[in-house]
This record gives sequence, C-alpha cells and structure tokens, in this order.
Amino acid sequence: MRAATKTTLTLALTFSAAIAFAAQSAPTSPPALPSQAAASPPTTYSAEGLYNLANQYARAGKPGLAVLNYERAALLAPNDPDITSNLEYVRATAQVPTEPHTRLTRFARLTTPTTAAWLGVIGIALLGGALLASKATRRYRALRVIAALLGITDIALTLSNAALLWPHLHDAVILINQTPARVSPVPMGDTAFVLREAETVTMTAEHEDFILIRTRTGRTGWVARANVGAVVP
Amino acid sequence: MRIRPMQWSKWVVLFLGLLAPITHVCAGADLSLAYEQIEPPSIRIGESAIIRITSLDGYLDNVPLPNVTGLKFEIVARQQGFEFVSGKPIPSSYVLIKVTPEFTGVFTIPGLTPKSRTLGLEVVAAETNNPMAWQAYKRTPPPPPPKATASLPKGAELKAGGAAFVRLVIPTRDIYVGESVPVDIEVGLRPGIVTSLNGLPTVTGGDFTLNNLSRQPERRDEIYGGNQFLLMTWHSVLAAVKPGDFALSVEAPMSVKINTLSAEEISIAARMGDPFLQSLYASIRPKEMTVSSPTSDLKVLPLPAEGRPTDFTGAVCNFQVSSDIAPAHPAAGDPLTLRLHVTGTGNFDRVDSPMFSQLEHWKTYPPKSSFTKSDAVGYKGEKVFEQPLITAQSGDQTIPGLAFSYFNPNTRRYERAQTQPIKVAIGASLANSSPGSLADAATLRRGLRPDHPRSGGSVSDLRPLYFEPTFLAVPATLALILAGGWFVVRPNPARVNAQTNARLLAQLAAAAKSGDAASFFELAREALLQTFATRWGMPRDQITPTEFPSRLGTASAEFERLWALADEALYSNEPGTTDFQHWLALVRAQLKAP
Repeated sequence: MRAATKTTLTLALTFSAAIAFAAQSAPTSPPALPSQAAASPPTTYSAEGLYNLANQYARAGKPGLAVLNYERAALLAPNDPDITSNLEYVRATAQVPTEPHTRLTRFARLTTPTTAAWLGVIGIALLGGALLASKATRRYRALRVIAALLGITDIALTLSNAALLWPHLHDAVILINQTPARVSPVPMGDTAFVLREAETVTMTAEHEDFILIRTRTGRTGWVARANVGAVVP
Repeated sequence: MRIRPMQWSKWVVLFLGLLAPITHVCAGADLSLAYEQIEPPSIRIGESAIIRITSLDGYLDNVPLPNVTGLKFEIVARQQGFEFVSGKPIPSSYVLIKVTPEFTGVFTIPGLTPKSRTLGLEVVAAETNNPMAWQAYKRTPPPPPPKATASLPKGAELKAGGAAFVRLVIPTRDIYVGESVPVDIEVGLRPGIVTSLNGLPTVTGGDFTLNNLSRQPERRDEIYGGNQFLLMTWHSVLAAVKPGDFALSVEAPMSVKINTLSAEEISIAARMGDPFLQSLYASIRPKEMTVSSPTSDLKVLPLPAEGRPTDFTGAVCNFQVSSDIAPAHPAAGDPLTLRLHVTGTGNFDRVDSPMFSQLEHWKTYPPKSSFTKSDAVGYKGEKVFEQPLITAQSGDQTIPGLAFSYFNPNTRRYERAQTQPIKVAIGASLANSSPGSLADAATLRRGLRPDHPRSGGSVSDLRPLYFEPTFLAVPATLALILAGGWFVVRPNPARVNAQTNARLLAQLAAAAKSGDAASFFELAREALLQTFATRWGMPRDQITPTEFPSRLGTASAEFERLWALADEALYSNEPGTTDFQHWLALVRAQLKAP
C-alpha cells in the first residue's frame, strides 16, 4: 500500500514535470518578419517579432498598426515592460486613452497564456493525484495537502487568466484615422460617430464587409472591415 | 221607454269607443305591415342582439341586411306564426337577424323594411355593467342597490315624459378664451322606458369645443322621485373660442317608449271604465327624440392684452416647470438631452416651448414634446419637451434656465415660470480633444523603448492555448485518467475480504507449523465465524454449533468437531497430535467458497 501511494504521487509529479518541460520547450521557428500588410496575420508569431514590428510602425507614424502589434505581442508576453511602455506611448501620441490595469489584471498576467494553460494541467494532475492518494492511504497527509493546494492555485491562475483574456479575444484596433462608424452596414449608411486611429474597440458582430464595433465608452457602429485589425486574427 | 239625450250621448261614445280600436288597428296594419324591434337594445362586447322583423302581410322573401361599420348581421331563422290584433289571429312571418358588434359604441341601424324606423344599439365593454341587460341576462351578479335620493340633482329637469334628463355641470366662475375647464355631463335614463341612447351628448352652439369626451361614461343607479334611473356621467373639457355671455346646453339623442296616441284618443280611452278596453288604446312604441339640458349661463372673458409676454402661446391655467439633462457626465461631442417638464392643470394643447434656438458653445436641434395625462380627459398631466444638444467644448458649462409663460385665471394675470440653470461637466472627447488633454507628459517624454533581440520561440496561433480544442483534450484526458484511478483505488469489499482471508490462512499455516493447537483452532474458529456470519447474514455472536446441522447438512459434524477441539485446546493448552493439514484444508475450503 505504501508503494502504491508513492507510485501515485511519483506519477503525478513526473507528469507535472513533463508538462512543465513541454511548456518550456515550445516549438521554435524563425521569427516573424515585418510586413507592410501587417494587418494580415503572419504564419507564426513571437513576442519579440511583434514588438519590433510594432516599433517600426510607431516610428513610421502608423499608430494603428503599431498598437495592433503591441496588443498581439502583449498576448504572448503580458509581463514585458517594454511592450506595455511602448503601447502607452503610442496611444498617448495618438490621443487615445490608455487601458487601465487592475490588481486582477496584474495577477492574471503573472504568466503567459501558454504557461497558464500548462499550469492548469499541472494543477489538475496535482489536485487529482492528491485526492487519489488520500483515497488510497492516510499517510503523507502534509504532502497531500500541499499538492492539493498547489493544484488549486494553478487551476485558479489558469481560470483567472482565461477569464481576463476572453473579452480581449474580440478586440480590434482602428487602423485608419477618422474612420466613420455607420449606423448600418452599408457604405452609404449615415455616420454615427468617427473613430480615431489606434483606438481599441470590441467586435460584436459582422455583416459582409462591415463589423459592428463597440467603443470603450459604449457607443456602437458599423465599421468597414478594412479599417480595423483584429488583435486575434 | 223614453231615452234621455244624456243617455244617448253615452251610447254614442261607447259605440265610437268600440269602433276606434278597430279602425286604429286597421290603419296601423296599413302603415306598418312589417315592423322590427331589437332585443336587448344594450349589450356587452362579445354578446349578440336579435332583430326581429314581423310581417303581417305575407312572407318576407328578401330582407336586405344593413351595412353598419362595427356590426355584423346574420339571418339566423325564419318563422311563421300568428299575431293577435284585437283578439283576432293574423298570419305573420318573422325573420330573426343576429347582430354581433366588433367594438363598443352606440350604433344606429337603418330600417330594414321600407316603412320601419331606425334601431339603436348600445355596445359596452365586457367588464362594464350593462345598463339594460339585467332584465334579459341573469348571469351577472345583481348590481348594488341604488342610492336613495329624494329629488333630482340641481339643474336637472325631467324630459320625455319623465323618462330622462340631461344635466351640464360647469364652473360657476367666469372663464377666459382658450381656457380649458372640466365639465361633467350627466344623462339620467329610466331603464325599460328609454330603450337606447343613440349617440354621445353634444353641446349646442359652435362657440365651444368639447374635447376628450370619454367614450365610456361612469354608470351608477340612482332613485329620483321613487323611480330608478341609470345615471351616466361623461367627464370632458370645455373650451371657449370667443368671448361673450353664453347660454350653454347639452343634448343627447335617445329612443324612448311613449304612447303614440293623440290626446283625443287618450281622452276617449280614459272614458272607458274597463281596463281591457283601455289597453286596446295603449300604443306604446319606441320613439327617437333628443333630450336637452337646461341652459347654463357662462361668461367668457378675453385674455388681457396688457402685460402679455412675447413668448405667450395661449397656455391658460396653472403650471409648474422643471428641467434636467442626461447623461450626467457626458464627453465633448456626445449628444445630451435637455428636458423641460411642464406639469399642472390646463390646456396642455396650447403649452409650447421653443426651448433653445441658439446656445453659445452648443449645437441645438429641434425639440420634441410628449404629453402624459394623469386624468381621463387630459386636464391634468405632464408635458415634456426634449431637445438634443451637443457641445464640442470640454470643461464645466452652464445651460441657462428655461422660461415658460402662461395666464393664470385665478390671479388674473400673466405669470412666468423659469427653471434653474444647469451646470454640466463635459469630459474630454476621444475624437475631438486636444493632444495634450489625454497624453501623459511623462509618457510622451520617455519615447519608444528599443527593439528586442530575437531569441524566443514562436507560436502559430495567437489564440491562447487553453482556448484551443486540441489542447483542451489534454486536461480532459488527464481528468478521465484520474477518474479511472478513483474507481481503481476505491475500497472493494471482495478484495478486502480476500486479503483478510489470505492473511488468516497464513496465520493458520504458521500456527500449524509451530504446533500451536490453541492458536490454530482459535484462529480457525474466528475465521469460520466471520465467514459464516457474512454468508448467512447474521451476527457472529449468534452463530453456535447448533446452527450447523440445519445450514451445513452432513458436513456439520466436522465443524462441530472443530469447535470442540478449539475449546479443548484452549483449556488443555497441550500440543496434541492434531491433523492440522486436515483442518487447514477444511477452513481454506470454507473461506474460498462463494
């Protein structure tokens, strides 16, 4: 029985270690190259490549494309201070408001989404292994409790990370200055309001060549698909 | 025998009296060989009335159905029968037409035969107490007993032979041109005598307007002079269109059952002592007539020209104003809605406000207005003016107060109501704000940070891994494995029993090997007790060798022997020459038996 308990915990830890190794050894490929058609998605993404690409656009006076690539880079490296700093700088120069960061935001962005995903798997393994061990034996109580707490923490981190990122999966950045937001998804539709380049909006629906967007202040309108870039293509 | 002249005159009167009804019936038959009546004359919506056409001169081949908006007509039956005229049966034919209303109101149905009169039908709402229906429909609960009143209301006069009255209740004070004053119009009807009300009451003369006459009047039963009346009251608003002294009256059309005989015929009938003969003269028929109310004097004054504000639009009475703006925290470029609330009593149709045609730093749009009445006739209520405003300038701004002028008949002068100025903080606009309003100076000063060396890995999709279906298979599989492991490690009674048995057999083998008979038999007895208790479903302390014959049959002797050896070994404590292998095999066979 003692051997069975040891085997259970060993298997759980081994599985966790293997997953952690897999998370560290993510597949590598040549970094993405800057492209003028930046709104179209490249084949591969890297935080550094997207950051450098955004810097190029910022220097070239294209704040919309710069913010779009900074936002994409922030998805892969949410704790990179350079990405955050340059994103705020470009938004400031483009006269669009900066997105506030709450405590929950900072907690959830302690890790990258990829790491958070594998941490969630590790958490499931630790919590499940601890529960199995408690069913099999009454020994190693401290070890079982620690494993369960670690598992719960990992799962909570993953869930909060996912909950925070979920709304941003539908974010988009205005690429053209003075983009009209129309009341109807037709080219001749009346203009409800005008959007500034680099403004971040949320996509709520789409119809043919138009996307229904909602601004951070709650206003909605139809914008031509070519004038916006989705953060997650 | 001599007959005196006075007696002769009596005989002549009697002869003429006998002759008169015959001539009357003949004349009536000529004039109304076909006539019609509707029963009941007042119904609820959802119910139907029946028009009965009676023909005294033959079969009614073709009865054209009338076309009345809101009523459906359907011939439901044709019948043959006899009408008794002066005791003589006359062959008659009948046509029954079902009338179904589509909405409430007072309907006039034209005559269906050439010489017949028009019929009136009143249709009330389903929940309304039907004034005429209690005689024909007993399904509804009886109405509350009417309030006993000794005399008619003040200003009311009975008309139509005491069957109805109309009364107009107006204010006693002088009113002004354009001023709306609430009035009540009361129509009292004697049910059964007044068969129908054929229209809404109207004011005589064209110098007044009667607005918002409610279609459904209030109804209640009253007793005036010992007679029951149905009292219907309309609440309305009266407005004068020009100054002067006027005598107001209201009239209402209705159908009343009256005796159609002339005074001479009635006097002849009155001379007949026999009630039966008098009944021959009774010719009670519905007749359409208009009943008017007594005139009421009303003085209408012109609005004074002195002190009339330039923005006066004709609002007369008493009003209060207030204003608000929404949203409370707008940004520059956002549309705001400025609302002016005008509440009170009066002619709200003349309440008007231009709001702001121009406002500095603001772009103004034409206002809209809406009125919500708080009584049935719209004399009390609230009128709201809404005007969109847009400003491009951020910061604290003040919207001036709004003014509204009206004439107050109580104070007899023009008054001006004004709202307080509204202060509103306009935030910076995303689209129209200046560059410095949003950009943090420190942020702008620090500039762009340099590029990063390319050292990290890359991914093929920006969507987070935990939202990928392929990745979600990993935690799902892990969860399945853990769930399977949960089933594997859960306590299994059979497995626990097998382990216990194996442990016992090992202990028995050890005791046999050492020759410890006391331990061997005690262990064997304990193992068998546990096995039998489980197998037989009874407490182990109740299992004794006396149970063995009935449960084990021929093999019971071996177990009784084992029990005896166990007792013997326990008390003698001597190693005997026991065949341990035999007993071990016996115990093993029982433990492994299903």
